[in-house]
Amino acid sequence: MRQPGAYSGLLAGGISGKTGPHSLPLARIKKIMKNSNDEVKMISGEAPIVFSKACELFIEELTKRAWMMTLQAKRRTLHREDVASAVMNIDIFDFLVNLVSENSGKSEDPQPVTEA
Amino acid sequence: MADGRAGGSFGVPGSPGGGGGSGSHDSGGDQSPRSSVREQDRFLPIANISRIMKKALPANGKIAKDAKETVQECVSEFISFITSEASDKCQKERRKTINGDDLLWAMATLGFEEYIDPLKVYLARYREMEGDTKGSAKGADGSARKDAPLPNPGSQLAHQISFTQGMNYGSSQSRAQHMMVLPMQGTD
Repeated sequence: MRQPGAYSGLLAGGISGKTGPHSLPLARIKKIMKNSNDEVKMISGEAPIVFSKACELFIEELTKRAWMMTLQAKRRTLHREDVASAVMNIDIFDFLVNLVSENSGKSEDPQPVTEA
Repeated sequence: MADGRAGGSFGVPGSPGGGGGSGSHDSGGDQSPRSSVREQDRFLPIANISRIMKKALPANGKIAKDAKETVQECVSEFISFITSEASDKCQKERRKTINGDDLLWAMATLGFEEYIDPLKVYLARYREMEGDTKGSAKGADGSARKDAPLPNPGSQLAHQISFTQGMNYGSSQSRAQHMMVLPMQGTD
């Protein structure tokens, strides 16, 4: 039988109800952590909890920075290119540069842009 | 000593994990080829990502699907980036389990110092609730216990206290191991 985790009580009816106090699934976070590096073998129970909040902060920051790019382009819809621009402009996002530049090349091509 | 190779692994903290298997040592057996990892194991759910993104925008702001997908990939990259740095630290210190301290340290090292305070608050709140729920010092899902050879609740308690009180990254790096890998910090 699977033992209930320490936070199962929280998950059942935490601060925000269904998903518990964490806005991102801890099991998934743990999987991504393990996938990231062969050396990652054991992860303390607290680590995914730290990440659930850290990822939230990260998403908020990236989104806000990207939204500034959206506004600069006088649009109201945030697009991938805005995220890419935000990544290019901010030092701490340097580790994402390859990812966003790969992306833009890959998925922009098959979609012909409608000309104005 | 592990010191000899310590510098090398930290020489390229900015290298993204997207490069494939370049970072893995040649152990011979490939236990988990990356291509076969299911999408739902590589990314956080897009609905959750989308919800957090929306919160960060004004009410009239819209988000294109490609932006959500990009952020989704970025988040996984973020987790890998931080985890790898924390994992290096654990290896140097010959510890097997990556804990919350290691992650906070890695975030501070990699430029995300601003996350530390909110994370400490979050964790303190979580611990309060955890205490209310269980009233014991057990590890969150049992994996934390594997790190401690003795079932000694006192050691866990000490760890938790050090975690909440001793997190002055950048100013009080007193342990020698930390000094090695924090050349930019601890000077002011």
